[in-house]
Amino acid sequence: MLGVILVALLSISPWLVSLFGTLLYQPAKKQKLLERESASATSGDPLSTLSKPFSGREIVKFQLVTANVVMSPSWVQLFIGGIVSLFGGEINTFTKVVDWARREAKQRLREQVAEAGFDDVINMRLETTLLTKNREKSAGVEILAYGTAIKY
Amino acid sequence: MQEAVNLLFSNTETIPGMTITQSMGVVTGSTVRAKNVFKDIGAGFKNMVGGELKAYTQLLQESRNEALYRMLVDAQGRGANAVVNVRFATSSVAGGAAELLAYGTGVIVE
Repeated sequence: MLGVILVALLSISPWLVSLFGTLLYQPAKKQKLLERESASATSGDPLSTLSKPFSGREIVKFQLVTANVVMSPSWVQLFIGGIVSLFGGEINTFTKVVDWARREAKQRLREQVAEAGFDDVINMRLETTLLTKNREKSAGVEILAYGTAIKY
Repeated sequence: MQEAVNLLFSNTETIPGMTITQSMGVVTGSTVRAKNVFKDIGAGFKNMVGGELKAYTQLLQESRNEALYRMLVDAQGRGANAVVNVRFATSSVAGGAAELLAYGTGVIVE
């Protein structure tokens, strides 16, 4: 009897860990990202344009900058997503993860640019790739943000 | 590891403050990489809770720099002194391995 209970506990423990991650760990990380975003928002967003700079000022220094992040949904989110995808429509859990990853990548680009002393990022591009572990299982989604950092 | 290649490169259509005099054709650089099995197992555990997989983030960053470097070497071999319109593409070719491609237009600027 005790053995059965022990086996049952062991088999659901990954799911408990996953639930913990979904409900506590991920929101904590997102909160941190929000704080970083509002900290860098005070000095104006350097990710200003997807094309050429608007001002005709002379550029003294430029550099290609890249920032990437690999995010993965938790087991619980994958499970919920699997159920929702039976019915179709928006899969909210996945939308949130990918959106979070994209914000994280953009924020890293901002921090990198600010640290190196650039004023602006022009020609910014975002790219999304699904990383697969084996045949159909996905390991996560990679978001790459890149652009040309310029200094006036 | 990587010898310094001093080419200008940018993902804009021109190099700021310079004029393009000649195009040397499309230059590419690519690499396929995988993380070791222990890192894969670690990432598998992180999959449970979700969030960032740092091992993969780092792997892709390193590989992308390598691809960029190979692209610059290609450009230098063609006699270009700058690369404009640099683009990146990523695809996972097999389990746990990703292909990183960097491509652009090799040009001569003055």
